[in-house]
Amino acid sequence: MATKALEVSALTKTYGTTCAINNLSFSIEAGEIFGLLGPNGAGKTSLISILTTLEEPSSGGAKIFGHDVLTQSDFTKPLLGVVPQEIVTHGFFEVQEILQFQSGYYGVRKNQEHIDYLLNKLSLWDHRHKKVKQLSGGMKRRLMIAKALVHKPKLLLLDEPTAGVDIELREGLWDFVREMHREGLTILLTTHYLQEAETLCDRIAVINKGELCCLRPTREIITDLSRREIVLTTNSDRSFEHPLLVSQTQNQLKLLVPAKMQVGDILQDLGVTAAEIVDLQVKEGGLEEAMKFLLKGVRT
Amino acid sequence: MTWIQFWTLFQREISRFLKVVMQTVFAPFISSFLYLLVFGVTLGQHVQLNGELSYLAYLIPGLMMMGLINNSYQNSSSSIVNMKFTGDLEDLRVVPLSNQTIVWAMALAAWVRGMIVALVTWLVGSLFMYWQSGKLLGLAHPGIFLFFSLVAGLSFGHIGIAMALWSKTMDQLSAFSSFVLLPLIYLGGVFISLEKLSPFWRAVAQWNPLLYFIEGFRYSFLGYCNVSIERAMLISVFGLGFFYWQALRSLRPGRFSRW
Repeated sequence: MATKALEVSALTKTYGTTCAINNLSFSIEAGEIFGLLGPNGAGKTSLISILTTLEEPSSGGAKIFGHDVLTQSDFTKPLLGVVPQEIVTHGFFEVQEILQFQSGYYGVRKNQEHIDYLLNKLSLWDHRHKKVKQLSGGMKRRLMIAKALVHKPKLLLLDEPTAGVDIELREGLWDFVREMHREGLTILLTTHYLQEAETLCDRIAVINKGELCCLRPTREIITDLSRREIVLTTNSDRSFEHPLLVSQTQNQLKLLVPAKMQVGDILQDLGVTAAEIVDLQVKEGGLEEAMKFLLKGVRT
Repeated sequence: MTWIQFWTLFQREISRFLKVVMQTVFAPFISSFLYLLVFGVTLGQHVQLNGELSYLAYLIPGLMMMGLINNSYQNSSSSIVNMKFTGDLEDLRVVPLSNQTIVWAMALAAWVRGMIVALVTWLVGSLFMYWQSGKLLGLAHPGIFLFFSLVAGLSFGHIGIAMALWSKTMDQLSAFSSFVLLPLIYLGGVFISLEKLSPFWRAVAQWNPLLYFIEGFRYSFLGYCNVSIERAMLISVFGLGFFYWQALRSLRPGRFSRW
Protein backbone atom coordinates (compact mmCIF):
# COMPACT_ATOMS: atom_id res chain seq x y z
CA MET A 1 0.00 0.00 0.00
CA ALA A 2 1.36 3.42 -0.98
CA THR A 3 2.30 5.73 1.89
CA LYS A 4 -0.19 8.53 2.43
CA ALA A 5 1.14 12.05 2.04
CA LEU A 6 -0.73 13.07 5.17
CA GLU A 7 -2.59 11.03 7.71
CA VAL A 8 -4.44 12.82 10.51
CA SER A 9 -5.71 10.48 13.24
CA ALA A 10 -8.20 11.42 15.95
CA LEU A 11 -6.55 14.81 16.32
CA THR A 12 -7.82 17.09 19.06
CA LYS A 13 -6.55 20.52 20.05
CA THR A 14 -7.99 22.56 22.87
CA TYR A 15 -7.02 26.04 24.06
CA GLY A 16 -8.28 26.31 27.62
CA THR A 17 -11.97 25.47 27.37
CA THR A 18 -12.14 26.12 23.62
CA CYS A 19 -11.91 23.09 21.37
CA ALA A 20 -10.29 24.16 18.08
CA ILE A 21 -10.05 20.64 16.60
CA ASN A 22 -12.23 17.78 17.75
CA ASN A 23 -11.25 14.20 16.96
CA LEU A 24 -10.36 14.99 13.34
CA SER A 25 -9.29 12.16 11.04
CA PHE A 26 -8.58 12.19 7.32
CA SER A 27 -5.81 11.36 4.90
CA ILE A 28 -4.35 12.77 1.71
CA GLU A 29 -2.96 10.57 -1.06
CA ALA A 30 0.42 11.41 -2.57
CA GLY A 31 -0.02 13.56 -5.66
CA GLU A 32 -3.41 15.01 -4.69
CA ILE A 33 -4.51 18.61 -4.51
CA PHE A 34 -6.63 18.50 -1.38
CA GLY A 35 -8.85 21.35 -0.21
CA LEU A 36 -9.52 22.00 3.44
CA LEU A 37 -12.47 24.34 3.73
CA GLY A 38 -14.43 25.80 6.56
CA PRO A 39 -15.56 29.11 8.01
CA ASN A 40 -13.30 31.32 10.14
CA GLY A 41 -12.41 29.56 13.39
CA ALA A 42 -13.15 26.12 11.91
CA GLY A 43 -9.71 24.85 12.96
CA LYS A 44 -7.84 24.98 9.63
CA THR A 45 -4.94 27.11 10.84
CA SER A 46 -4.75 25.16 14.13
CA LEU A 47 -4.31 22.00 12.08
CA ILE A 48 -1.53 23.59 10.02
CA SER A 49 0.12 24.83 13.23
CA ILE A 50 0.19 21.26 14.52
CA LEU A 51 1.58 19.87 11.26
CA THR A 52 4.35 22.47 11.35
CA THR A 53 5.05 21.88 15.10
CA LEU A 54 4.09 25.43 16.04
CA GLU A 55 1.52 23.87 18.36
CA GLU A 56 1.28 20.48 20.02
CA PRO A 57 -1.93 18.45 19.76
CA SER A 58 -3.93 17.79 22.92
CA SER A 59 -4.44 14.23 21.71
CA GLY A 60 -4.23 12.20 18.52
CA GLY A 61 -1.55 12.70 15.93
CA ALA A 62 -0.54 13.20 12.31
CA LYS A 63 1.90 11.52 9.96
CA ILE A 64 3.59 13.00 6.91
CA PHE A 65 4.69 10.36 4.42
CA GLY A 66 4.59 7.85 7.27
CA HIS A 67 6.58 9.94 9.78
CA ASP A 68 5.03 11.23 12.97
CA VAL A 69 5.04 15.05 13.14
CA LEU A 70 5.61 15.07 16.89
CA THR A 71 8.28 12.44 17.35
CA GLN A 72 9.93 12.47 13.92
CA SER A 73 9.89 16.16 13.04
CA ASP A 74 13.46 15.88 11.71
CA PHE A 75 11.99 13.74 8.94
CA THR A 76 8.66 15.54 8.45
CA LYS A 77 9.92 19.12 8.30
CA PRO A 78 12.12 18.70 5.20
CA LEU A 79 9.14 17.07 3.45
CA LEU A 80 6.93 20.07 4.14
CA GLY A 81 6.73 23.46 2.46
CA VAL A 82 4.53 25.98 4.21
CA VAL A 83 2.94 29.14 2.84
CA PRO A 84 1.51 30.87 5.91
CA GLN A 85 -1.67 32.88 5.96
CA GLU A 86 0.08 36.00 7.20
CA ILE A 87 3.00 37.55 5.35
CA VAL A 88 6.42 37.27 7.02
CA THR A 89 8.19 40.60 6.53
CA HIS A 90 11.78 39.57 7.47
CA GLY A 91 12.83 43.03 8.66
CA PHE A 92 16.12 44.08 7.17
CA PHE A 93 16.72 41.30 4.67
CA GLU A 94 16.49 41.27 0.89
CA VAL A 95 14.49 38.76 -1.14
CA GLN A 96 17.59 36.86 -2.28
CA GLU A 97 19.07 36.71 1.22
CA ILE A 98 15.77 35.42 2.60
CA LEU A 99 15.78 32.53 0.13
CA GLN A 100 19.45 31.77 0.80
CA PHE A 101 18.84 31.66 4.56
CA GLN A 102 15.78 29.51 4.05
CA SER A 103 17.85 27.01 2.01
CA GLY A 104 20.48 26.95 4.74
CA TYR A 105 17.88 26.27 7.44
CA TYR A 106 17.00 23.10 5.54
CA GLY A 107 20.68 22.18 5.31
CA VAL A 108 20.72 22.75 1.53
CA ARG A 109 24.02 24.12 0.25
CA LYS A 110 24.78 25.53 -3.19
CA ASN A 111 21.12 26.07 -4.00
CA GLN A 112 21.54 29.26 -6.03
CA GLU A 113 20.42 27.60 -9.27
CA HIS A 114 17.08 26.58 -7.76
CA ILE A 115 16.70 29.97 -6.06
CA ASP A 116 17.25 31.69 -9.41
CA TYR A 117 14.71 29.34 -11.01
CA LEU A 118 12.09 30.24 -8.38
CA LEU A 119 12.87 33.95 -8.62
CA ASN A 120 12.32 33.80 -12.38
CA LYS A 121 9.32 31.51 -12.23
CA LEU A 122 7.54 33.69 -9.69
CA SER A 123 8.53 36.96 -11.41
CA LEU A 124 10.69 38.10 -8.50
CA TRP A 125 14.03 38.21 -10.31
CA ASP A 126 13.94 41.99 -10.84
CA HIS A 127 13.05 42.47 -7.18
CA ARG A 128 15.65 40.14 -5.65
CA HIS A 129 17.57 42.98 -4.03
CA LYS A 130 14.49 44.59 -2.48
CA LYS A 131 13.35 44.26 1.11
CA VAL A 132 9.96 42.67 1.72
CA LYS A 133 8.38 45.97 2.74
CA GLN A 134 9.28 47.35 -0.71
CA LEU A 135 7.31 44.60 -2.49
CA SER A 136 3.68 44.77 -3.55
CA GLY A 137 1.12 42.51 -1.88
CA GLY A 138 1.24 40.05 -4.77
CA MET A 139 5.04 39.91 -4.76
CA LYS A 140 5.02 39.22 -1.02
CA ARG A 141 2.68 36.28 -1.59
CA ARG A 142 4.92 34.97 -4.37
CA LEU A 143 7.94 35.28 -2.08
CA MET A 144 6.15 33.19 0.56
CA ILE A 145 5.61 30.51 -2.11
CA ALA A 146 9.24 30.68 -3.25
CA LYS A 147 10.35 30.26 0.38
CA ALA A 148 8.12 27.23 0.80
CA LEU A 149 9.56 25.61 -2.33
CA VAL A 150 13.23 26.46 -1.89
CA HIS A 151 14.11 23.05 -0.43
CA LYS A 152 11.97 21.06 -2.92
CA PRO A 153 9.37 19.69 -0.48
CA LYS A 154 6.98 16.81 -1.24
CA LEU A 155 3.93 18.23 0.52
CA LEU A 156 3.00 21.89 0.20
CA LEU A 157 0.68 23.48 2.76
CA LEU A 158 -0.98 26.57 1.31
CA ASP A 159 -2.84 28.42 4.05
CA GLU A 160 -5.07 30.90 2.22
CA PRO A 161 -2.36 31.77 -0.30
CA THR A 162 -4.48 34.13 -2.37
CA ALA A 163 -6.08 36.15 0.45
CA GLY A 164 -6.12 39.79 -0.60
CA VAL A 165 -4.70 39.07 -4.03
CA ASP A 166 -6.23 40.51 -7.23
CA ILE A 167 -7.91 38.21 -9.74
CA GLU A 168 -5.10 38.29 -12.32
CA LEU A 169 -2.45 37.34 -9.81
CA ARG A 170 -4.74 34.75 -8.26
CA GLU A 171 -5.10 33.01 -11.60
CA GLY A 172 -1.35 33.20 -12.11
CA LEU A 173 -0.83 31.51 -8.75
CA TRP A 174 -3.37 28.83 -9.64
CA ASP A 175 -1.42 28.08 -12.83
CA PHE A 176 1.75 27.81 -10.78
CA VAL A 177 0.09 25.48 -8.26
CA ARG A 178 -1.12 23.27 -11.13
CA GLU A 179 2.39 23.20 -12.54
CA MET A 180 3.88 22.20 -9.18
CA HIS A 181 1.23 19.52 -8.93
CA ARG A 182 2.11 18.17 -12.38
CA GLU A 183 5.71 17.92 -11.19
CA GLY A 184 4.55 15.57 -8.44
CA LEU A 185 3.94 17.84 -5.45
CA THR A 186 1.09 16.98 -3.09
CA ILE A 187 -0.82 20.09 -2.07
CA LEU A 188 -3.04 20.86 0.91
CA LEU A 189 -4.92 24.09 0.28
CA THR A 190 -7.02 26.03 2.73
CA THR A 191 -8.96 28.88 1.22
CA HIS A 192 -12.04 31.03 1.55
CA TYR A 193 -12.27 31.40 -2.22
CA LEU A 194 -14.53 28.51 -3.09
CA GLN A 195 -13.95 29.00 -6.77
CA GLU A 196 -10.27 28.37 -6.07
CA ALA A 197 -11.03 25.08 -4.33
CA GLU A 198 -13.51 24.09 -7.02
CA THR A 199 -10.99 24.81 -9.78
CA LEU A 200 -7.94 23.20 -8.18
CA CYS A 201 -8.88 20.48 -5.72
CA ASP A 202 -9.37 16.78 -6.41
CA ARG A 203 -11.00 16.22 -3.04
CA ILE A 204 -12.32 18.52 -0.38
CA ALA A 205 -12.74 18.19 3.36
CA VAL A 206 -15.10 20.63 5.04
CA ILE A 207 -14.55 21.25 8.72
CA ASN A 208 -16.69 23.29 11.06
CA LYS A 209 -16.01 23.97 14.75
CA GLY A 210 -13.09 21.57 14.53
CA GLU A 211 -15.13 18.64 13.26
CA LEU A 212 -15.15 17.00 9.87
CA CYS A 213 -18.48 17.66 8.10
CA CYS A 214 -17.69 16.16 4.73
CA LEU A 215 -14.82 14.56 2.81
CA ARG A 216 -15.49 13.75 -0.82
CA PRO A 217 -14.28 14.39 -4.35
CA THR A 218 -15.01 18.01 -5.29
CA ARG A 219 -17.25 17.06 -8.22
CA GLU A 220 -19.35 14.80 -6.03
CA ILE A 221 -19.92 17.48 -3.41
CA ILE A 222 -21.11 19.91 -6.04
CA THR A 223 -23.28 17.33 -7.78
CA ASP A 224 -24.91 16.04 -4.62
CA LEU A 225 -25.24 19.18 -2.59
CA SER A 226 -25.80 22.01 -5.04
CA ARG A 227 -28.73 22.71 -7.37
CA ARG A 228 -29.11 23.69 -10.98
CA GLU A 229 -31.30 26.58 -11.99
CA ILE A 230 -33.26 25.78 -15.13
CA VAL A 231 -35.09 28.57 -16.93
CA LEU A 232 -37.37 27.27 -19.65
CA THR A 233 -39.21 29.51 -22.12
CA THR A 234 -42.05 27.89 -24.03
CA ASN A 235 -44.50 28.94 -26.72
CA SER A 236 -47.31 27.23 -24.88
CA ASP A 237 -49.97 28.94 -22.80
CA ARG A 238 -50.73 25.89 -20.74
CA SER A 239 -49.78 25.66 -17.09
CA PHE A 240 -47.13 23.19 -15.90
CA GLU A 241 -46.82 21.42 -12.56
CA HIS A 242 -43.69 20.03 -10.96
CA PRO A 243 -42.54 19.78 -7.30
CA LEU A 244 -39.28 21.62 -8.14
CA LEU A 245 -40.98 24.46 -9.98
CA VAL A 246 -40.10 27.74 -8.29
CA SER A 247 -41.97 30.22 -10.46
CA GLN A 248 -44.07 30.36 -13.60
CA THR A 249 -44.62 33.69 -15.34
CA GLN A 250 -46.30 33.89 -18.74
CA ASN A 251 -44.28 31.49 -20.86
CA GLN A 252 -41.27 31.18 -18.58
CA LEU A 253 -40.70 28.45 -15.98
CA LYS A 254 -37.98 28.50 -13.34
CA LEU A 255 -36.93 25.28 -11.59
CA LEU A 256 -34.28 24.53 -8.99
CA VAL A 257 -33.21 20.91 -9.30
CA PRO A 258 -30.51 18.76 -7.70
CA ALA A 259 -27.35 19.02 -9.80
CA LYS A 260 -27.31 15.27 -10.34
CA MET A 261 -30.72 15.31 -12.07
CA GLN A 262 -30.65 15.22 -15.86
CA VAL A 263 -32.30 18.10 -17.73
CA GLY A 264 -33.97 15.60 -20.11
CA ASP A 265 -35.64 13.85 -17.16
CA ILE A 266 -36.98 17.15 -15.83
CA LEU A 267 -38.41 18.09 -19.22
CA GLN A 268 -39.97 14.67 -19.50
CA ASP A 269 -41.51 15.00 -16.03
CA LEU A 270 -42.92 18.38 -16.99
CA GLY A 271 -44.37 16.93 -20.15
CA VAL A 272 -42.84 19.58 -22.39
CA THR A 273 -42.43 18.65 -26.02
CA ALA A 274 -39.48 19.72 -28.13
CA ALA A 275 -41.78 21.84 -30.30
CA GLU A 276 -42.84 23.85 -27.24
CA ILE A 277 -39.30 24.83 -26.22
CA VAL A 278 -38.27 28.31 -27.30
CA ASP A 279 -35.25 28.70 -25.00
CA LEU A 280 -33.53 26.67 -22.27
CA GLN A 281 -30.95 28.08 -19.88
CA VAL A 282 -29.15 25.94 -17.29
CA LYS A 283 -27.08 27.57 -14.55
CA GLU A 284 -24.96 25.08 -12.65
CA GLY A 285 -24.78 25.29 -8.88
CA GLY A 286 -21.33 25.69 -7.35
CA LEU A 287 -19.30 24.73 -4.34
CA GLU A 288 -20.43 27.87 -2.53
CA GLU A 289 -24.02 26.68 -2.47
CA ALA A 290 -22.95 23.18 -1.44
CA MET A 291 -20.85 24.64 1.39
CA LYS A 292 -23.70 26.76 2.70
CA PHE A 293 -25.92 23.72 2.68
CA LEU A 294 -23.27 21.68 4.47
CA LEU A 295 -22.47 24.25 7.13
CA LYS A 296 -25.87 25.79 7.75
CA GLY A 297 -28.29 23.27 6.26
CA VAL A 298 -29.95 26.08 4.31
CA ARG A 299 -30.51 26.75 0.64
CA THR A 300 -29.80 30.18 -0.77
CA MET B 1 22.27 19.72 14.03
CA THR B 2 24.15 20.20 10.78
CA TRP B 3 26.85 22.80 10.40
CA ILE B 4 25.06 24.30 7.40
CA GLN B 5 21.99 25.03 9.52
CA PHE B 6 24.06 26.35 12.42
CA TRP B 7 26.20 28.50 10.14
CA THR B 8 23.14 29.89 8.32
CA LEU B 9 21.43 31.06 11.50
CA PHE B 10 24.71 32.40 12.91
CA GLN B 11 25.35 34.29 9.67
CA ARG B 12 21.79 35.65 9.68
CA GLU B 13 22.23 36.97 13.22
CA ILE B 14 25.57 38.61 12.43
CA SER B 15 24.15 40.09 9.26
CA ARG B 16 21.15 41.43 11.21
CA PHE B 17 23.19 43.48 13.67
CA LEU B 18 25.61 44.66 10.98
CA LYS B 19 22.66 46.06 9.02
CA VAL B 20 21.96 48.39 11.95
CA VAL B 21 25.58 48.96 12.92
CA MET B 22 24.93 52.53 14.13
CA GLN B 23 22.54 51.20 16.74
CA THR B 24 24.35 48.01 17.63
CA VAL B 25 28.02 48.96 17.62
CA PHE B 26 28.52 52.73 17.32
CA ALA B 27 25.96 53.71 19.98
CA PRO B 28 27.56 51.42 22.63
CA PHE B 29 30.95 52.79 21.54
CA ILE B 30 29.78 56.35 22.26
CA SER B 31 28.48 55.42 25.72
CA SER B 32 31.74 53.58 26.55
CA PHE B 33 33.69 56.62 25.36
CA LEU B 34 31.66 58.90 27.64
CA TYR B 35 32.00 56.58 30.64
CA LEU B 36 35.76 56.48 30.13
CA LEU B 37 35.99 60.23 29.73
CA VAL B 38 33.77 61.17 32.66
CA PHE B 39 34.52 58.42 35.17
CA GLY B 40 37.89 57.12 34.06
CA VAL B 41 39.73 60.29 33.13
CA THR B 42 38.00 63.10 34.98
CA LEU B 43 36.65 61.62 38.22
CA GLY B 44 39.19 58.79 38.24
CA GLN B 45 41.99 61.19 39.14
CA HIS B 46 40.38 61.56 42.59
CA VAL B 47 39.92 57.84 43.23
CA GLN B 48 42.66 56.07 45.14
CA LEU B 49 42.98 52.32 44.76
CA ASN B 50 45.33 50.00 46.62
CA GLY B 51 48.78 49.81 45.10
CA GLU B 52 49.86 51.70 42.00
CA LEU B 53 46.85 50.78 39.94
CA SER B 54 45.14 53.70 38.22
CA TYR B 55 41.36 53.90 38.36
CA LEU B 56 41.25 53.99 34.55
CA ALA B 57 43.07 50.64 34.35
CA TYR B 58 40.60 49.28 36.89
CA LEU B 59 37.61 50.70 35.01
CA ILE B 60 38.44 49.54 31.46
CA PRO B 61 37.92 45.76 32.03
CA GLY B 62 34.73 46.52 33.96
CA LEU B 63 33.35 48.66 31.14
CA MET B 64 34.39 46.04 28.59
CA MET B 65 32.47 43.36 30.48
CA MET B 66 29.49 45.68 30.89
CA GLY B 67 29.44 46.27 27.11
CA LEU B 68 29.86 42.55 26.45
CA ILE B 69 27.02 41.55 28.79
CA ASN B 70 24.62 44.29 27.66
CA ASN B 71 25.19 43.80 23.97
CA SER B 72 25.09 40.02 24.05
CA TYR B 73 21.78 40.18 25.91
CA GLN B 74 20.39 42.85 23.62
CA ASN B 75 21.45 41.07 20.45
CA SER B 76 19.58 37.85 21.06
CA SER B 77 16.59 39.44 22.81
CA SER B 78 16.05 42.17 20.21
CA SER B 79 16.52 39.69 17.38
CA ILE B 80 13.77 37.46 18.78
CA VAL B 81 11.47 40.39 19.54
CA ASN B 82 11.94 41.66 15.97
CA MET B 83 11.17 38.18 14.70
CA LYS B 84 7.99 38.16 16.78
CA PHE B 85 6.88 41.31 14.99
CA THR B 86 7.91 40.24 11.49
CA GLY B 87 6.74 36.63 11.78
CA ASP B 88 10.23 35.17 11.26
CA LEU B 89 10.00 33.43 14.62
CA GLU B 90 7.30 31.10 13.32
CA ASP B 91 9.65 30.28 10.44
CA LEU B 92 12.33 29.22 12.91
CA ARG B 93 9.95 26.60 14.32
CA VAL B 94 8.65 25.46 10.93
CA VAL B 95 12.10 24.78 9.46
CA PRO B 96 14.11 21.79 10.71
CA LEU B 97 16.36 23.74 13.09
CA SER B 98 16.89 21.93 16.36
CA ASN B 99 16.60 23.82 19.64
CA GLN B 100 20.34 23.25 20.16
CA THR B 101 21.10 24.92 16.82
CA ILE B 102 18.89 27.91 17.62
CA VAL B 103 20.30 28.39 21.12
CA TRP B 104 23.99 28.07 20.21
CA ALA B 105 23.91 29.92 16.89
CA MET B 106 22.07 32.88 18.41
CA ALA B 107 24.22 32.94 21.54
CA LEU B 108 27.45 32.79 19.54
CA ALA B 109 26.32 35.67 17.33
CA ALA B 110 25.38 37.58 20.51
CA TRP B 111 28.91 36.97 21.81
CA VAL B 112 30.40 38.32 18.55
CA ARG B 113 28.47 41.58 18.92
CA GLY B 114 29.38 41.81 22.59
CA MET B 115 33.05 41.21 21.77
CA ILE B 116 33.11 43.91 19.09
CA VAL B 117 31.80 46.43 21.64
CA ALA B 118 34.22 45.16 24.32
CA LEU B 119 37.23 45.34 21.99
CA VAL B 120 36.34 48.85 20.85
CA THR B 121 36.01 49.87 24.52
CA TRP B 122 39.47 48.38 25.17
CA LEU B 123 40.94 50.29 22.25
CA VAL B 124 39.43 53.62 23.30
CA GLY B 125 40.27 53.01 26.98
CA SER B 126 43.87 52.20 26.08
CA LEU B 127 44.15 55.44 24.12
CA PHE B 128 42.90 57.39 27.14
CA MET B 129 45.34 55.50 29.35
CA TYR B 130 48.26 56.13 27.03
CA TRP B 131 47.35 59.79 26.92
CA GLN B 132 47.13 59.90 30.73
CA SER B 133 50.07 57.71 31.78
CA GLY B 134 52.02 56.78 28.66
CA LYS B 135 51.09 53.09 29.18
CA LEU B 136 48.76 50.72 27.36
CA LEU B 137 46.50 48.22 29.11
CA GLY B 138 47.76 44.75 28.24
CA LEU B 139 46.47 41.27 28.99
CA ALA B 140 47.94 39.36 31.92
CA HIS B 141 46.15 36.08 31.15
CA PRO B 142 44.90 35.75 27.54
CA GLY B 143 43.37 32.31 28.19
CA ILE B 144 41.31 33.62 31.09
CA PHE B 145 40.28 36.62 28.99
CA LEU B 146 38.94 34.27 26.31
CA PHE B 147 37.29 32.04 28.90
CA PHE B 148 35.35 34.84 30.66
CA SER B 149 34.44 36.67 27.48
CA LEU B 150 33.03 33.47 25.95
CA VAL B 151 31.22 32.31 29.08
CA ALA B 152 29.70 35.75 29.74
CA GLY B 153 28.76 36.44 26.09
CA LEU B 154 27.13 33.03 25.65
CA SER B 155 25.39 33.22 29.04
CA PHE B 156 23.79 36.58 28.31
CA GLY B 157 22.99 35.53 24.76
CA HIS B 158 21.06 32.64 26.34
CA ILE B 159 19.31 34.92 28.84
CA GLY B 160 18.29 37.20 25.96
CA ILE B 161 16.72 34.26 24.12
CA ALA B 162 14.83 33.08 27.21
CA MET B 163 13.58 36.51 28.24
CA ALA B 164 12.44 37.46 24.73
CA LEU B 165 10.55 34.18 24.33
CA TRP B 166 8.99 34.32 27.78
CA SER B 167 7.94 37.98 27.50
CA LYS B 168 4.43 38.56 26.27
CA THR B 169 4.91 42.31 25.87
CA MET B 170 7.75 44.76 25.29
CA ASP B 171 7.07 46.08 28.78
CA GLN B 172 7.91 42.73 30.38
CA LEU B 173 11.14 42.54 28.41
CA SER B 174 12.30 46.03 29.30
CA ALA B 175 11.31 45.44 32.96
CA PHE B 176 13.86 42.62 33.20
CA SER B 177 16.49 44.80 31.59
CA SER B 178 15.80 47.82 33.82
CA PHE B 179 14.98 46.19 37.13
CA VAL B 180 17.22 43.13 37.13
CA LEU B 181 20.06 43.28 34.65
CA LEU B 182 21.05 46.93 34.96
CA PRO B 183 21.21 47.03 38.80
CA LEU B 184 23.19 43.78 38.87
CA ILE B 185 25.68 45.15 36.35
CA TYR B 186 26.10 48.46 38.17
CA LEU B 187 26.42 46.74 41.54
CA GLY B 188 28.68 44.04 40.16
CA GLY B 189 31.91 45.97 40.47
CA VAL B 190 32.11 47.72 37.10
CA PHE B 191 32.80 51.12 38.59
CA ILE B 192 33.67 50.45 42.20
CA SER B 193 36.08 48.07 43.87
CA LEU B 194 34.68 45.75 46.53
CA GLU B 195 37.49 47.02 48.78
CA LYS B 196 35.76 50.40 48.88
CA LEU B 197 32.47 48.98 50.15
CA SER B 198 31.46 48.60 53.77
CA PRO B 199 31.66 45.01 55.10
CA PHE B 200 27.86 44.70 54.93
CA TRP B 201 27.60 45.70 51.26
CA ARG B 202 30.69 43.66 50.46
CA ALA B 203 28.87 40.62 51.86
CA VAL B 204 25.73 41.48 49.88
CA ALA B 205 27.75 41.92 46.68
CA GLN B 206 29.06 38.34 47.01
CA TRP B 207 25.53 37.16 46.10
CA ASN B 208 25.52 39.08 42.83
CA PRO B 209 26.41 36.51 40.13
CA LEU B 210 27.58 39.22 37.75
CA LEU B 211 30.36 40.13 40.18
CA TYR B 212 32.14 36.89 39.27
CA PHE B 213 31.93 37.48 35.52
CA ILE B 214 33.24 41.03 35.94
CA GLU B 215 35.95 40.26 38.48
CA GLY B 216 37.13 37.18 36.59
CA PHE B 217 37.41 39.22 33.42
CA ARG B 218 39.29 41.95 35.31
CA TYR B 219 41.73 39.31 36.57
CA SER B 220 42.66 38.47 32.96
CA PHE B 221 43.93 42.07 32.54
CA LEU B 222 45.26 43.02 35.97
CA GLY B 223 46.38 39.65 37.30
CA TYR B 224 44.34 40.13 40.46
CA CYS B 225 40.69 40.57 41.45
CA ASN B 226 38.56 40.92 44.55
CA VAL B 227 37.27 37.35 44.50
CA SER B 228 38.96 33.99 44.13
CA ILE B 229 39.55 33.35 40.40
CA GLU B 230 38.74 29.64 40.77
CA ARG B 231 35.45 30.52 42.42
CA ALA B 232 34.70 33.09 39.72
CA MET B 233 35.36 30.49 37.00
CA LEU B 234 33.20 27.90 38.71
CA ILE B 235 30.25 30.24 39.26
CA SER B 236 30.50 31.55 35.67
CA VAL B 237 30.42 28.04 34.22
CA PHE B 238 27.51 27.15 36.47
CA GLY B 239 25.78 30.36 35.26
CA LEU B 240 26.35 29.40 31.64
CA GLY B 241 24.84 25.96 32.24
CA PHE B 242 21.84 27.42 34.05
CA PHE B 243 21.13 30.11 31.46
CA TYR B 244 21.58 27.62 28.61
CA TRP B 245 18.99 25.38 30.28
CA GLN B 246 16.59 28.34 30.61
CA ALA B 247 17.05 29.20 26.92
CA LEU B 248 16.29 25.60 25.93
CA ARG B 249 13.22 25.56 28.19
CA SER B 250 11.91 28.73 26.58
CA LEU B 251 11.91 27.19 23.09
CA ARG B 252 8.61 25.38 23.53
CA PRO B 253 5.78 25.08 21.01
CA GLY B 254 3.30 27.92 21.46
CA ARG B 255 6.02 30.51 22.23
CA PHE B 256 6.73 31.25 18.58
CA SER B 257 3.55 33.19 17.86
CA ARG B 258 3.58 36.69 16.50
CA TRP B 259 3.00 39.79 18.56
